[in-house]
Amino acid sequence: MTKWTRSTKCAAMIALASFCYGAQAGEITAYTSLEEDDIRVYLQGFAKAKPAIKVNVLRLSTGDLAARMLAEKSNPRHDVIWGWAVTQMVDPRILEMTEAYKPAGIDQVKPEFKDAQNRWFATTGYFAGFCVNTEILKKNNLPMPSSWADLTNPAYKGQIVMPNAASSGTGYLQVVSILQMKGEEKGWQYLKDLDKNIAQYIKSGSRPCKMASTGEYAIGLSFAFSGVKQIMEGYPIKLVIPSEGAGYETEVNALMKTAKNKADAKQFLDWLLTLDAAKLYGERAEMSSVPGAKPTADILKAGLPADVATVLYKMDFDASAKNKDRIIAEWKKSIER
Amino acid sequence: MTVSHPRTVTQTARIDTDRLAVLGLTVAVALPLIVFVVLPLVGILNLSFVTEDGIGWGNFVRYFSSPKFTRVVVNSFTVTLTTTAITVVLAYAFAYAMHRTAMPGKRAFGMIVLLPLFAPSLVQALGILFMFGRNGVINRSFGLGIDIYGFWGIVISDVFYSFPHAYLILSAALALADARVYESAQMLGASAARVFRTITLPATRYGVMSATFVVFTIVITDFGNPMVIGGDFSVLATEIYNQVSGQSNFAMGAVIGVLLLIPAGLAVVIEKWIMRRHHASITDRSQPLRLMPDRRRDMAGLVYASVVCGMILLIVGVVFVASFVTLWPYNMHLSLRHYRFEVQNGLQPLWTSVWVSLAAGAIGVVVTVAGACVMRRLHGAAAQALYFLSILPAAVPGMVLGLGYIFAFNDPANPLEILYGTAVILAICNVYHYHAQGFLIATTGLNQISRVFDEASTSLGGSFFRTLRSVILPIIWPSIVSVGVFFFVRSMVTLSAVIFLVTPSTQLAAVSVLLLDDAGNQNQAAAFSVCIMLVVAMALALFHGLLRLSGAKRVSLFG
Repeated sequence: MTKWTRSTKCAAMIALASFCYGAQAGEITAYTSLEEDDIRVYLQGFAKAKPAIKVNVLRLSTGDLAARMLAEKSNPRHDVIWGWAVTQMVDPRILEMTEAYKPAGIDQVKPEFKDAQNRWFATTGYFAGFCVNTEILKKNNLPMPSSWADLTNPAYKGQIVMPNAASSGTGYLQVVSILQMKGEEKGWQYLKDLDKNIAQYIKSGSRPCKMASTGEYAIGLSFAFSGVKQIMEGYPIKLVIPSEGAGYETEVNALMKTAKNKADAKQFLDWLLTLDAAKLYGERAEMSSVPGAKPTADILKAGLPADVATVLYKMDFDASAKNKDRIIAEWKKSIER
Repeated sequence: MTVSHPRTVTQTARIDTDRLAVLGLTVAVALPLIVFVVLPLVGILNLSFVTEDGIGWGNFVRYFSSPKFTRVVVNSFTVTLTTTAITVVLAYAFAYAMHRTAMPGKRAFGMIVLLPLFAPSLVQALGILFMFGRNGVINRSFGLGIDIYGFWGIVISDVFYSFPHAYLILSAALALADARVYESAQMLGASAARVFRTITLPATRYGVMSATFVVFTIVITDFGNPMVIGGDFSVLATEIYNQVSGQSNFAMGAVIGVLLLIPAGLAVVIEKWIMRRHHASITDRSQPLRLMPDRRRDMAGLVYASVVCGMILLIVGVVFVASFVTLWPYNMHLSLRHYRFEVQNGLQPLWTSVWVSLAAGAIGVVVTVAGACVMRRLHGAAAQALYFLSILPAAVPGMVLGLGYIFAFNDPANPLEILYGTAVILAICNVYHYHAQGFLIATTGLNQISRVFDEASTSLGGSFFRTLRSVILPIIWPSIVSVGVFFFVRSMVTLSAVIFLVTPSTQLAAVSVLLLDDAGNQNQAAAFSVCIMLVVAMALALFHGLLRLSGAKRVSLFG
């Protein structure tokens, strides 16, 4: 009996071990915050180019993924970080886990989309956008907003939802872009004025757009592509990109120092900068750092500009990363309810 | 003297092996609790003291002095106490209608009331928003301006969320009664109100306390409902999320997690104090209660049960309908398009969930029933310590437990690191996340048996295991099945702890629901949830069928 139990236990342990350390050559693990449906499309593209490499993907929201990576820090489980917010990436606790790597084709990427020390590079990104529910707007006789400045109109009182800057990356992106474009003093004053119209601060960045879609509120401050998606779903949403310029965030990729399969991980990172990949970015992302990515007709119809560069506000990422703690503390003190 | 001598020797020997058995089982129960609950928590506790200038109380001081602190604590307590009071009263009335009236339709009511347990909590919040949101069915149809977000939104959704838990415990307490007491009361001419006040209520006091304790902890640690429907009304559990997920600030998240553990300690002390006054309601001389029809009482029960079940059906039903609607609420044509699951691996996570949940059910039964049995034999400090360990998980927010697991089991120095990233750790995590509730169901079942039975068995020379096997298990095995089903179902729908433990190959169904909702696809999230609910319903039907086949005719799953 004991012998039997012991051998079973042994077998189970071995089975578990091979399961745990199953990442052999030809297999890599990527941690990402890209959207589920996009991941599927990108991986189909990668499989065509490199059929021998299997990519296991764990998808979590930006903040949850940061928590997970930091908690796993003593023993990282992934080979690459794929499509993850740059403001999170520049956290020194994360950066020290990465290894510098220059993927093939990195020279075509503009300097603002890559790290000077080659620890990360961006492929895609997202920027601030307002989701406006046209049905609710009409029902309440409200004007269509076109800028951040319009949103302080008292007519919108109780009709706007905005992400919570402390818990949502999109929320922080919106706040920091306003502070950078208006200067700190005027920026904070604007946020306090805007606060009078805000019905709720939402803990996730895409939810405000969803709440506007189902008509819970008239205007959801979010990122542009969440609006594009809801429009394509068929909701009565109009996407508004603030005329002052939209703050943006890039989604970056990096190689882990602890990668168990560096050779294949590098091939994956290389593929992210190929023309094949760029074509997919055109179909699935609102902005891309890789030349050759062109938005599709559907996306343009949903309200995305053909040349994204014209609507972006030029962010100072170093400053926005460096000041994050201070700005969030101030936001919590003077704005959060 | 010479005759009795050898007998004393065998008896002492038996008592010694008996003691050894109890001791062995105590260790077998306590050790996993320490490894899978205490160690992860110690890791988190440690974190709460890590500051930039070394180990100290800095984080606590900083949190206590922040302006939000008092408000969040007050918010948490008012919302929790309000919800607890409402839930326990409503659930008691429901359980009373089920067991102490002769109303028709009890089987259907008994099933419907458990529906919220079978649905991922996210979907319940979705349902409430579909119905009562600012642009929900009610407001749209009647042109009202009800704003559900905030205090009452959390209270309403948490009442739905915790109702079945309270009902199960109160149901177990009200199911059994000693007819002799009621007969004497009737003969002495006591009014119905007086019978209730002096007999029913005192006899079920323990159940009420248990239910109160369970609901209180479920609500204060719940994070899904406040997240979706709480608006700007912050509670401790959402603050943890703010700190950990939003700002990667584990230390502050840990501080709030530690603060949430305090109510648990209090609840334990209070419950212990009540338990000391509790005696088994069923003794060796009890007579089962027979219900006489009483039209007014039965009508009242029927109306009340119909209203409660109607509300529950409405919330779950609207999600079911939404999953078949083209675009809620703008295009109400029916369509199957939301059932093409455009997530990685499609429906695979559903099957992973089933396996993990079956494992959690099996492990959960062994762990909690063993724990409950050991508790009966322990006394004094050991009993209190084990009891505290057993119900401690109830006070731990899933998110804190999940993070604790990463810190504890992704450590190369830990021999159990081998479990990390596997489906096994998901099952274990679910078992210990819901350990307290499972343990309480098992204990409530066990407490229905008077200790006289144990003593009789022991004095006749039965060993601990023999008593267990031939006296206790045959009586409480329906409770055991309930415990297994409880763990299975919780595992199918829970999210908060496992979200930090899933891997590419162990993606779970409830996580898929979250991902779909995250991607802005509420209807698809509703559709995936409908699939989860169907699997749970089919599993329950299967369990039920097997039970009936095996000869247990009057067993109802879930107490």
